Amino acid sequence: MTLVAQEIPKVGLVMEAVKVVRWLKNVGDTVAAGEPLLEVETEKSVVEIEAAATGRLTQILVQVDGQATVGDQVAWIESAEAHGAGTAAAAPRRAEPKIVAPTPSTAAIPARDGERIRSTPVARKLAAERGVDLGGIAGTGPGGRVQLDDVQRAIDAPRVVAPATQSFSPMRRAMARAMSLSNATIPQFTVARSVEWTELQALRREFAARLPDAAPRLSVNDFLLQAVARALTEFPALNATFSGDAESADARVVQASGAHIGLVVAVDDGLLVPVIHDVEQLGLAEIARRRQDCVERGLKGRLKREEADGATVSVSNLGAIGPDRFTALINPPQSAILAVGRQRDCVVAREGAVVVRPLSDLTLTVDHRVADGRLASQFLARLVAILEGRDWRLG
Amino acid sequence: MQHTFIEILRRALDEELARDAAVYLLGEDVAAGGAFGVTRGLAQKHGSARVRNTPISEAAITGLATGAALCGLKPVLEIMFIDFATLSMDCLVNQTAKYRYMSGGQLAVPLVVRTQAGAAGGAAAQHSQSLEAWFIHVPGLIVVAPSTPAEAYGLLKSAIRLGEPVLFVEHKRLYTMKEELAVGAELPPIGRARIAKPGTDVTVIAYSAMVQSALEAAQKLADAGISAEVIDLRTLLPLDMATIAASVSKTHRALIAHEAVLNGGVGAEIAARIGAELFDELDAPVLRVGCGFAPIPFAPQLERALLPGSADLVRAVRQIMGLAE
Repeated sequence: MTLVAQEIPKVGLVMEAVKVVRWLKNVGDTVAAGEPLLEVETEKSVVEIEAAATGRLTQILVQVDGQATVGDQVAWIESAEAHGAGTAAAAPRRAEPKIVAPTPSTAAIPARDGERIRSTPVARKLAAERGVDLGGIAGTGPGGRVQLDDVQRAIDAPRVVAPATQSFSPMRRAMARAMSLSNATIPQFTVARSVEWTELQALRREFAARLPDAAPRLSVNDFLLQAVARALTEFPALNATFSGDAESADARVVQASGAHIGLVVAVDDGLLVPVIHDVEQLGLAEIARRRQDCVERGLKGRLKREEADGATVSVSNLGAIGPDRFTALINPPQSAILAVGRQRDCVVAREGAVVVRPLSDLTLTVDHRVADGRLASQFLARLVAILEGRDWRLG
Repeated sequence: MQHTFIEILRRALDEELARDAAVYLLGEDVAAGGAFGVTRGLAQKHGSARVRNTPISEAAITGLATGAALCGLKPVLEIMFIDFATLSMDCLVNQTAKYRYMSGGQLAVPLVVRTQAGAAGGAAAQHSQSLEAWFIHVPGLIVVAPSTPAEAYGLLKSAIRLGEPVLFVEHKRLYTMKEELAVGAELPPIGRARIAKPGTDVTVIAYSAMVQSALEAAQKLADAGISAEVIDLRTLLPLDMATIAASVSKTHRALIAHEAVLNGGVGAEIAARIGAELFDELDAPVLRVGCGFAPIPFAPQLERALLPGSADLVRAVRQIMGLAE
């Protein structure tokens, strides 16, 4: 019998802190090596962590909502097999495992109990009557004693919304870090162009009729993903990411193989950018299926780490309630992002006549280290041509 | 027209002698007016049988007055200085205060013992003390200490009419204080304090001459934006806790001031009761101001230095309010 330490493996490139979302096994359950054991929330998604060994889960060291970092031990598995290096085979059977992150219920309370709030009797009485927490009041009496006036002031104080003391969720923190990095390090420029949807709307209805009822409905996003993939294939210079320090000799552009495209999805606490890989090989029906699957799991926080990596370009479509046009910030290390304004009927000139057509404004934000205005303009022009054309691959 | 404390006391005694034939005055030199002239002229007006000089023996004359009261008279005995009341203590504590209880209510002692206390003008250690706290220790006694001439007029009349043994403590510093006397005013009841000055921030509880110091302090505090309520206790036994409670429940802060030393004093009694009965109303510790724990010096400068005054009250109130010096 051997005790094997279950650790948090390094799954993504920048993953450091995780929060335990749930344990998929209970203490006493048998687990098989490679079988999902727990779920942790990383910066961008919920990741399943696989059991490090086959055996019996004997102790959970980090409870749900507990924090851990890569390399931290979160459980002990008692394995019948003999293990070599890399496991805790040498650990003595009854060794007290190091507690990585104590559960909130045991950590928070004693610290609070130790404090004695100095207060006057009448201040306590008023605070109790009005349900005011004395601990939240700065006493102005001798030695910081909370007095009647202090409680009265706390009651009278306009109910200002407490400045957001809520700590960032891992996702929010990742968002903040990515956008700061984007704005601070990527020189970004934009090119914009209108796209007309007349043709695409007709085709969408036509394709819908041809697809089985059970298939996911085709959305404009699916057409956008296929069009971007094709344009990327035609302009491989844009299908790349910038790497290294712009001022150093190791700065280079890394070419991508295949069109891997992120789709920006708004969730309650921020954004998710699930990546659909090798889009250039997929028909609209398959794009729709993968897109729906990614979005559904993303909304539930169940995207796997690798499903959020590897893209060179993202598409951000705020939909019917979105603005006429907007500029998006590049999601590092990608090199471009396409912002799709809402579709609306516009008066346009067509063959010398004034007509009304459904249009959207497309705004492409590009990393100037990777591409210049001419390339971006050509790419966008081609993209619009694809979107307005009839050349689509359904299956 | 304004009258001094002494003139107003004399008038009250005069009127009570005229009103009730059972009332009579006795004491050392009272027929000649007494040491401070309170009874001057009353022997001539009401006859030497009703305003009687006594031998210089406080023990004897307290017993005499108690006996007269038991036999149906309403004596008003003058003990020249409260310092000499030590000699009256045996009778007052063991006899006068006990008759009603030990006779099962069949006997009453309608006796008023007028005396004067406090320090003023270098009367020295044996003629300047404030010993009222000794008497509030005794069940069966009533202790009254007026703060102004008009108050003394009404309270003395009420004491004479009460039908119980009353120690009526006058302050010698107030004797020259002048005040208008409202004719036909209702007599103040014994056992009821009064609000000498209403306020909202702090309650200053005082009696006798210290009420004047409290009012001075309240004026200075008002200039600093602090509203002090001054309670004149008037009666020290029984204590009017209802008035104190109403005030402290409003201000949530209390200071007790008296000229007597703090040890075992009236202030200690009140502070303890506030602590027990009004704990949940307090927003600051209850403080007391009193005389330094020393005999009253003869030298006027030392006497002034030792006695508490309005500046001490202001300082104590500021401390209660949490204001730096």
